[in-house]
Amino acid sequence: MNKKTFFTLLFAVVFSLCAYSQKTTLTVLDYIDATAPGYAEVQSVWQRFMVDNPDIEIVKEDLSNEPFHQKLAAYVAAGTVPDVVYMYPSGRSTILHDQKLVKDLEPLLGKEYLSAFIPAVLDTAGQKGGYLAELPQSICYSTVVYVNTKLLSDLRLKVPKTYKELRAMVPRLKAKGIRPVLMANKDDWVMQSCLFSTIVGRMVGDDWIDRALAGKVKFTDKEFVKALEFVQTMYKDGVLGRDTIQISYGEAPALFAAGKAAFFIDGDWRQNSFLTDPKSGVALIDPAKQETDFQFINFPAIPGEKNPGAVSAILGCGYGISASIPAGSAKEKAAVRLVKYLYSREVQTTILELGRYITSRKDVTSDALEPFIPKMKAYYASTSKTCYVLDGALDTSVYTPLNLGLQEIGLGTKTPEQVARTVQDALDLWLAAHKK
Amino acid sequence: MESVPRRIKTVRPMAAAGKILAYAALGLFTLVTVYPLAWLFINSFKTTNEFQMNMLGLPVDWTVDNYVGAWKIGEFDRLIGNSLLYTIGATIGITVFSLQAGFAFAKIKSKATPLIYGSLILGILLTIQSLMVPLFLEVTILDKLLGDLLRSIGLYGGREFKLFHNTRFGVLLIYIGSALPVGIYLSTAFIKGIPDAIIEAAQIDGAGYYRIFWSIILRMSAPIAVTMCILNIPGLWNEFALINILVSDAGLKSLPLGIFKFSGSLSSDYGKQFAALVIGMFPMLAFYVAFRKQITAGVAAGAMKG
Repeated sequence: MNKKTFFTLLFAVVFSLCAYSQKTTLTVLDYIDATAPGYAEVQSVWQRFMVDNPDIEIVKEDLSNEPFHQKLAAYVAAGTVPDVVYMYPSGRSTILHDQKLVKDLEPLLGKEYLSAFIPAVLDTAGQKGGYLAELPQSICYSTVVYVNTKLLSDLRLKVPKTYKELRAMVPRLKAKGIRPVLMANKDDWVMQSCLFSTIVGRMVGDDWIDRALAGKVKFTDKEFVKALEFVQTMYKDGVLGRDTIQISYGEAPALFAAGKAAFFIDGDWRQNSFLTDPKSGVALIDPAKQETDFQFINFPAIPGEKNPGAVSAILGCGYGISASIPAGSAKEKAAVRLVKYLYSREVQTTILELGRYITSRKDVTSDALEPFIPKMKAYYASTSKTCYVLDGALDTSVYTPLNLGLQEIGLGTKTPEQVARTVQDALDLWLAAHKK
Repeated sequence: MESVPRRIKTVRPMAAAGKILAYAALGLFTLVTVYPLAWLFINSFKTTNEFQMNMLGLPVDWTVDNYVGAWKIGEFDRLIGNSLLYTIGATIGITVFSLQAGFAFAKIKSKATPLIYGSLILGILLTIQSLMVPLFLEVTILDKLLGDLLRSIGLYGGREFKLFHNTRFGVLLIYIGSALPVGIYLSTAFIKGIPDAIIEAAQIDGAGYYRIFWSIILRMSAPIAVTMCILNIPGLWNEFALINILVSDAGLKSLPLGIFKFSGSLSSDYGKQFAALVIGMFPMLAFYVAFRKQITAGVAAGAMKG
């Protein structure tokens, strides 16, 4: 093959590989997996946008878990953040906030549009960058106690209001072979995110955590150690079985639905595991039973708590718009149109009906909701105070030893004091690395 | 003479015990290997609800809905085509280029050989994880530079030029490039064992390097070529980390990305996830069953020569 033929062929390949389009193209990085409830319906939502907006072409990439974060890290490194990106209010999306790689949505969406959302999600203090980098789709309550009221009433037990009452029912439940409290503690983040954050919020408080992050108090101080001791007490009292550390996140809902436990502690997102699958028409808990046999409550009052009724909550994830899009351009207008559509009443109603999350839009209602969804809304209304979810407030390097330490307390291999020391050591390292 | 029967008497029970032990150990290894596959296969016929309630038993109602759903949602018809292209294309590329380089390093003497060889072999030490972001940067920057160049000389008029990022060509190029260090190392070691006299005889007969390579070296290197294919095919078929970074278009993705779709952080549709895994695993099992003799022979040849 001579040089001339080679280059002619190369150019032919180059041109055949290159695409050209007159439409406004928006690249989107979305966080979704095919096992998510209503996956097909969510895909239809995107399809509908493309049909209704023929002038906009969506090039959408669906990823989840670690590959999502790896891909986003690559995009950030290359300076090619997708035009519309799914992101967290802090945590793994910190770099997007800190480097202001996404636009402030407040002026783009406008006050009138944003007035349809609950004020708490518009509070920019909850976002790492201090501006509306993403519009939270929901507020995520990470502690919900799912109660099997039918099981309790069969044993002539009442829904507990205090930890003392909860502990008192342990012997009767165990005598019947029923686990008092079910948690999927095999996954190390569950205890921290779904229970310990609330315990800390109640016994220690957010201000104390802020002071710890400022280096003014230490996790080895008695306040925090007492919170860890409460977790140890729950295991010692038999409220939590040590075997919960062998229960994986995927197993727990089925065990609870089968009546193997009176209480199940998890986040608000978990309610959708029990709803009817739109495809198969099968529900882990039948809607009729959702209505009559189950209730959602806040964790009972803890002895010595300073902030009664506080429950851990964090702003939900949402979509942001890349800062690299020129202001006032056709692309920016297209991105805003897409974001407005995704948060529209119509789309959010579909999402609510699928039970994916309780939307932050105020004007969304539906007659087609399974009982768990309005019950979750009622649970939100019943809680008056929120506190930090610790993995949203602490750095990964600090909450990872805490997560592991909580498992070790459960296994009885470490004392609360030892865990507190490990967490403080991790915080000291983090503080030293971030000293200005 | 007396010692012989005595030795037979003492050795036989030991040999029998050894055999039993060996069979027990091999049986255990077989069980450890086969059981998870059998468990996966059986559970792929359960609904997720049934799986959560009954993880070890046989399905009450055997359902193939998981396979239908997984195939459709995972868009496997398209992904399998891409996976075949990437695996076969990259394997051919890795094998041919490795042998060509191996031939050059082993038989064409030059002062620069140790330096070039050493710098290429250095790639063995690099992990895929350390290459992910730099490779992504490289392909996006190359596309931009090449696009700007072609635009400036009036050969391209589109908005976004794509040759390396988000293209099948880019994936193949990086798959081939990332496997070359090991391939070159194996090929060079093998080709060094081919007598120089054969090459010299061909040169006397008037053959050039290309002719020598295609007519002699390639044929004589069949064992190492098979070894390289065996080493690379499963890895390329299952490759996830690089292709996740290199492509965004759904139409360019491969099977592992489709299978990953079924793994959720907070919930998992186990039935479809297992069905997707069985679909993804089946071609590799078929490959092994079809080529098991060549695989065994190839690995042995590679072990001796490499």
